[in-house]
Amino acid sequence: MTDKINDPVAMWQKMVGEMEKGFNSFANQAMASPEFSQAMNRAGGVAAGAQKQLGELMEKYLVSMNLPSREQVTGLAERLQAIEGQIGEIKSMLSQMAAGSDVSQGSDTALRPPRTKRPPSEGGEET
Amino acid sequence: MNAPTGLDLASIPERIQSEVQRAIQRSIKGVEYFSTSGPTLGATPKDVLHSRGTMSLYHYRPMSDEIYRVPVLIVMATTNRGYILDLVPGQSFIEFLLKRGYDVYMLDWSAPRPEEKSLRMEDYVLGFIPDCVRRVQQDSGEQDVSVIGYCFGGVLSLLYGSIFPDGPMKNLICFTTPIDFREMKLFSNFSDRRYFDVDRLVDSVGNVPPEMILSSFEMLRPASRTVSQIQLWENIWNDEFVKSYRMFDRWATDTLPLAGEYFRTITKDLMWDNKLFNDTMSVGGRAAKLENIKVPFLHAVAEHDHIVPYDAAKHLIVKIGSEDKEEVMLKGGHVSLVAGANAVKRLWPKLDSWLGKRST
Repeated sequence: MTDKINDPVAMWQKMVGEMEKGFNSFANQAMASPEFSQAMNRAGGVAAGAQKQLGELMEKYLVSMNLPSREQVTGLAERLQAIEGQIGEIKSMLSQMAAGSDVSQGSDTALRPPRTKRPPSEGGEET
Repeated sequence: MNAPTGLDLASIPERIQSEVQRAIQRSIKGVEYFSTSGPTLGATPKDVLHSRGTMSLYHYRPMSDEIYRVPVLIVMATTNRGYILDLVPGQSFIEFLLKRGYDVYMLDWSAPRPEEKSLRMEDYVLGFIPDCVRRVQQDSGEQDVSVIGYCFGGVLSLLYGSIFPDGPMKNLICFTTPIDFREMKLFSNFSDRRYFDVDRLVDSVGNVPPEMILSSFEMLRPASRTVSQIQLWENIWNDEFVKSYRMFDRWATDTLPLAGEYFRTITKDLMWDNKLFNDTMSVGGRAAKLENIKVPFLHAVAEHDHIVPYDAAKHLIVKIGSEDKEEVMLKGGHVSLVAGANAVKRLWPKLDSWLGKRST
């Protein structure tokens, strides 16, 4: 096996790793200053305002083109997810009702394993 | 045989051949990388028990012949998706728990909708979590529930546990959970109250955009993204490396927006006034003191956690009111503590041995 000290690939990887640590450390020191916080938040405030304005403009443009915005598409996806959740809930309720009336409908609740497991040290068994 | 410099001359041709092969593989695999999607994540079979806006409660289907009496509810951090705990078979914490005989539920989050910008801390601590606990009780038929909180999910679990000390929480496990927010130095500086106008931000954007959350995480290690891309290119011939990279990269960049009012409270109460650490935190007018929590408690922290440094987490074990309590520090970072190859060997077996005997 090639000696890592003289392996150019290993040396390159080590150098990249050291550069990463050094840069992160340097940047962290710089970012810990109040001046950085002030500058970052000033820029962030401007960006947030600009982003909001741009978003509103884009929304108006898309409405005029009769197209949905990304937010609306995301909203639809979220609503679909909610509907799926509701279906899951109905399914779960139906399963519980089926189990309650002793009607076996392949309910996952009815098929659940017993809650009898003991930890290996107590029962001596291993799952 | 080594030359005087220590260089193994005999291995040079072999090494050159290996590097040439890797270079060829990089070209082939590089094309594959961009033409294929990553592995399917979060695929452990589950049912959605309940869903309400940003909140979803999953129940994972048992994988063992018998299960522990006490079900486990995992509370995920509100900034990220829960599939970090359910990556792929063999690297899924959920799958591990199921195979070890736990009945597992997860409180996971999706992006809050624009109309959910008014969700407050109260909605999370006094609404979502108790709602999920109640549904876990109903679904499992058990009164006791063990709670596992990851990162800020741990903070929410602590708030819940301190407000409802009489149950039904039976055990509490926190992974990398901060309570002293002054010690999250860079986050603290980014949100310096002299310069950070949280009211203006929330009032102008509603929900805090995920890009902002992601940027603030990435700024903690600004060189790391570039370096990880270099490492990806170097190792793109290695299928296992690429698979792992894709899983973690997808999750890390899949950051969620935060509900505006909720973010406002986090900033003011936790980042600015450090109320959880100072025992002055309240949610919806109800005091949330850590000393109120008396249930068996485990806190797992990571030795190289750059997001929640140990100084931000170390006081939790002291301040918690439980007599049966333990802190365990494991090698790894904020994410590798809970997911990936290291977690399989370190955290998961530790958690199993701790929780198993408290789950009967």
